[in-house]
Amino acid sequence: METFLQVLANGLMLGALFAIVSIGLTLIFGIVKVVNFAHGEFLMIGMYLTFVVTGWLGIHPLYTIVIVAPLLFLAGAATQRFIIQPLMSARDDHIQIFATVGLSTALINLALLIFGADIANTPSGGLRTPVEIGPVRVLSGQLFILIAAIALVIGLRLFLQKTQTGRAIRAVAQNRAAAQLMGINVNRIYVLTFGIGAACVGLAATLIAPLYPTSPNIGTYFVLTAFVVVVLGGLGSIGGAFVGAMVIGLIDSFSGFYIGSDLREVAVFGVFLLILILKPSGLFGKSLNLSHVSP
Amino acid sequence: MTDTTAASLAAPAADKPAAGRPRRNLIALVLFLAAIFLVPVAIGDQFVYHVFITICLFAGLSTAWNIVGGFAGQLSLGHAIFYGIGAYAGIILMNMGISPWIGMFAGAAVAVVAAIVISYPCFRLKGPFFALATIAFLEVFRVLALHFSGLTGGATGLMIPLKLGWEWMVFRERLPALVIVYGMMLVSLAAAWWIRSHRLGFYLVATRERESAAQAAGVSTVKVRLIAVSVSAALCAMFGTFHAMYLTFIEPAAMFSLTTSIQIAMFALIGGIGTVFGPLIGAVFLVPVSELARGWLGAHALGLHGFVYGIVLVLVVLFMPNGLMGAMKRMFGKAEPERGVQAASVAATPRASERPAIGHEIMVADHLDKHFGGLHVTNDVSFSLKEGEILALIGPNGAGKTTVFNMLSGFLTPDSGGVKVRDAAGNFVSPTTPGDFAAIGVGRTFQIVQPFAAMTVEENIMVGAFHRFHDVGDAREAARETAHRMGLGPWLNAEARGLTIGGLKRLEVARVMAMQPRILLLDEVMAGINQTDVRRAIDLMLSIRDTGVSIIAIEHVMQAVMSLSDRVIVLNSGQIIAEGKPQDVVRDPTVIEAYLGKEFTHAHA
Repeated sequence: METFLQVLANGLMLGALFAIVSIGLTLIFGIVKVVNFAHGEFLMIGMYLTFVVTGWLGIHPLYTIVIVAPLLFLAGAATQRFIIQPLMSARDDHIQIFATVGLSTALINLALLIFGADIANTPSGGLRTPVEIGPVRVLSGQLFILIAAIALVIGLRLFLQKTQTGRAIRAVAQNRAAAQLMGINVNRIYVLTFGIGAACVGLAATLIAPLYPTSPNIGTYFVLTAFVVVVLGGLGSIGGAFVGAMVIGLIDSFSGFYIGSDLREVAVFGVFLLILILKPSGLFGKSLNLSHVSP
Repeated sequence: MTDTTAASLAAPAADKPAAGRPRRNLIALVLFLAAIFLVPVAIGDQFVYHVFITICLFAGLSTAWNIVGGFAGQLSLGHAIFYGIGAYAGIILMNMGISPWIGMFAGAAVAVVAAIVISYPCFRLKGPFFALATIAFLEVFRVLALHFSGLTGGATGLMIPLKLGWEWMVFRERLPALVIVYGMMLVSLAAAWWIRSHRLGFYLVATRERESAAQAAGVSTVKVRLIAVSVSAALCAMFGTFHAMYLTFIEPAAMFSLTTSIQIAMFALIGGIGTVFGPLIGAVFLVPVSELARGWLGAHALGLHGFVYGIVLVLVVLFMPNGLMGAMKRMFGKAEPERGVQAASVAATPRASERPAIGHEIMVADHLDKHFGGLHVTNDVSFSLKEGEILALIGPNGAGKTTVFNMLSGFLTPDSGGVKVRDAAGNFVSPTTPGDFAAIGVGRTFQIVQPFAAMTVEENIMVGAFHRFHDVGDAREAARETAHRMGLGPWLNAEARGLTIGGLKRLEVARVMAMQPRILLLDEVMAGINQTDVRRAIDLMLSIRDTGVSIIAIEHVMQAVMSLSDRVIVLNSGQIIAEGKPQDVVRDPTVIEAYLGKEFTHAHA
């Protein structure tokens, strides 16, 4: 029983980790409608930034958020403005996918060039301290991630529902042309959204860097799972991404324990493929009725 | 990206006006291909050999990928699966004492099975989702290859036993390896060229451009894609076997790698996706750059060549979306296809003297019911179409007309009720899929035009004509004839996306007419065209009817409804509210009320 609870707790903590990485991705996916294959590399950049800034200033890694998140906002906004925006009118998605794949390749290798293949360990700042909650033990940093993920979901929801900008963002997501006719500067909204999505990853990076070693390939490790989470939760659904992340975290944790740690990915991707094929709109996505438009 | 005209560079574009161009291109192509073999042989350096072997390998893989990723437009980022299967099959069988020449085909067979199993459920997925699914499958294969270490050696990998010679495909010198991979590359190119210049290629491109329009034209879209993916997978597996013998050592991380998958796709993109020779050109330009960078810079600057690779990819996408082939075409090729003056619209059609009598029922809609969520779109709709008749289907917006059409052509399945069609032999059958409907002679147009945008007008119509003809020449002939009849003659070589809306409407009709359907479903073909054209279109429809075709037309242009139709059915809120002769129906109070509201009827009463 205790083992079961511990595996459950591990799954939830892992879920929180996936959630915080995926929220920015689902925002970009749902609103700009671009599959950003370089999302993982934004995380990687954020983690390196956390590592570097912590080292330079000698501050607690969590404080680097004030530097890392704005920098990633800029990186995301620039990506949208200079790479994605010129391709928005491209006739099919190949083009955008290749653009972000190219960006991803370039960024991984840039990190390799600057930092080498060795891993970089950010000081843990006490975040690797075990905390006992009843019969289970988790790391304090993992709890921080869980709290931050929940706060991020709530914060983004409030932002999208209650503010003028948030409403504009949702309008653009629902109908780009109509939003434009209502006087919304669609391109600006896209740049802003991409920036916010990247800033969310910046937040994630400062929380993850103290727990996981940073390497040029760390993004690839997370990004595939993040895509699984986003599709599972339903495109663009932030709450859905959170629940999806928890589901994936639990599947990962339980299959790793009960089936075999080397087959965890098979279980996760198996679920992903089943969802993609059987219910492509995700667990919480709405399917649109387009009977008139596309038979 | 989607560049079909460039593909005809080397396709037997027999009847292109400039007959000298294909021959010149052919000579250039032969010289280019010969150079790929002769340059390394002439130089004789080990490293140069290695670079050219790598060029041939990636050109071949990328050409094979392009059959799926380019022609069929299914962006696979999991092609390393097939390459890896080939590699493992080759080495595992070689360890059992079986020559890789046999292992190659065994690997290809396994890859084909894997490709079909993977692709079949994934065809519903569009664009990025298909790409993500293929990546997920690739990860699954990699993890499984690591897990089943008894078979694959797991993370430690597999070595080939040291057996040299042609029988084992393993050599001390480089020349034989070049001969093999060069030959394989030619096979890959030939396969891609053959597909692109035959019916299968047209069907693949049509499916890529507009799946529903392709289905309406009788294309079995799943079947053509499965064929494409099978050919592609088999070729990739064979290259995998070769490469395993060349590398002499394989491991899951290198064989089932996302990086390899991306590279394969990237060469096609940079060379010109969807063109026959684009992937070859991409590989010829990029492989040397990357191999040299790896050789010279690799040790000093880890990651530099990958960085350059990524940047090049982004820049190509931004500034050269049609790849090197597109850029070359702009430099050497002819200018944009002439966009003929917006002249002659539908040609005036000479009418046949005698109209065949209206015959028996040919199509029966039987109690059609359809719900979209809580909305009852069609409620117990029953009617029939008689042979040689023109039946108009009218009704206000949202009445459910297009939904009825979608059920009459197999695009929607009714919740209850069904559609019966009398086949050529006179028996009633109940087709279910768009393909079944097309096969039995039901052709349809779409209200929102669905051209194959990247194809020329001629090629668009050919897709319809292929329903009757297997041969490209015959289909082209039939397409031209139809185009002239529809007044599309001047635009034969223009890309469909350049047409005006009137032109596109006519193209819709031309494509379905090229199929020579027995029953024609026309969805608002007169909307948005001018008066003269409406008159001509009416004449055209009458002449079609006179050839014995039965027509159901959804139409809002009352002039057409009144002068064309033998019978009118009025649909409102999913129900038939009136049926009869056009003159009677327009005076029917319920019809006037449906269109104009109660107040109007009262005001006139």
